[in-house]
Amino acid sequence: MATRSRTNNLLLALASTIGFGVLANVGDVGAQQLTHKQMITSLGRLDAAAPEVDIALLMEQANANVGNGVTQLPDWSRLAKLSQLVVEINFENNSIAIEPDSYRALGLIADALHHPDLFRYKFLVVGHTSSTGNPKHNLELSQQRADAIREVLATTFAVSPDRLYSIGVGQEWPIDSANPANAVNRRVQLINLGLVK
Amino acid sequence: MRTRSSLCLLMTFIGCLCLAGSARAETLSYADAITVLAKECGADIKRHCKGLNLGNGAIQGCLEAKASKVSATCTATLETVIASIEQRQAAQQGYSKVCRHAMAQRCKGMRGDGNILRCLIKSTKHISDECNQAITDAGWR
Repeated sequence: MATRSRTNNLLLALASTIGFGVLANVGDVGAQQLTHKQMITSLGRLDAAAPEVDIALLMEQANANVGNGVTQLPDWSRLAKLSQLVVEINFENNSIAIEPDSYRALGLIADALHHPDLFRYKFLVVGHTSSTGNPKHNLELSQQRADAIREVLATTFAVSPDRLYSIGVGQEWPIDSANPANAVNRRVQLINLGLVK
Repeated sequence: MRTRSSLCLLMTFIGCLCLAGSARAETLSYADAITVLAKECGADIKRHCKGLNLGNGAIQGCLEAKASKVSATCTATLETVIASIEQRQAAQQGYSKVCRHAMAQRCKGMRGDGNILRCLIKSTKHISDECNQAITDAGWR
C-alpha cells in the first residue's frame, strides 16, 4: 500500500507560485523546516485573485482517471498557481491514523491558520500517495487522509470548518515524477483558495 | 524549637504555593502543545490507541479510558495540553469582547480581524491589561 510508518523529521517544503515543472523540484530545492512566520508568509502570498476552484470537478476528474497521471487532470493544474505549502505527514500503515511524530506538523499548520494574516482565507488540504500499491486504493486512502487532517484542524485545533476543504488525488500528481514510487511523493499540500466569502 | 522551625518551613511552603498559584501560566502555541503530547504520550498512543486519530477527541478519549495503563507522565501532560489549547481558544474567541473598548478608542472604523489585531498590538501601551493578556493568550503577539 502507498503508506509507511517511519520516523523522520518534519519536512515543510515551500512551493510558492509554481507550475508543474517547478513543483517537480520542490523536494530538492525547498525541503526545509519552515518557521511559523515563513509559513504564514508563503501561505498568505496572493499575487493575484485566486482563481475559482471547483472541488467537485477536481474530485470527478481524479475518480475518472485513476492510474492515468496528472496530464489527465487538466483542472488540477490550476492549483499549482496558488499560494501553498507541501507538508510531510506520516500515517500508520494503510490507515488514516496520523503518527505522533507528525502531530507537530499539524500544530504548526493550526498556528498558521489562526494567525490574523490568514484569518480571511480558506484552504484546501490535498492528500497524495506514491505509486506503491493499487492506484484506486491510493486515491481512496489519500481522500480519507486529507479528510482526517481537515477533521484534526477543525476539531482539535478549532480552525473554522468553513475555511477547510479536503481532497485526495492518490498517486496521480507526484513531486518526483521520474520516480513515482519515491516516498517523497507521499505528502499533503495545503493550498490557499482565497477569501472566505 | 523543633516544632517552631517546622512551622516556619510549612509557612514558607504555603507561601510558595500561593505565589505559584497566582502566577499566570503562558498559553502554548498549538505546535508546542501538541509536540509535548507526542513526546510524553507517543508510546502510550502507539501501544493503547492504535488506529485512532487526533481529531474529534479520539486520542484524548482513548488515553482517558485507558488511564490505568497509561503512564502517569502522559496523563498529567494530556491534562496540561488540553487546558493550554482550551485557554488559547477561549482567548481567541473572547478577545473582541475583552478588547471592545480599546477597539472603539484606538481602532475606530477598522474592519477585519487581521487589521484590528495589528492595530491593537501597535497600541499595546494604551490598552487595558485584560485586552493585552487576551492577545498574548491567543498567541497573536
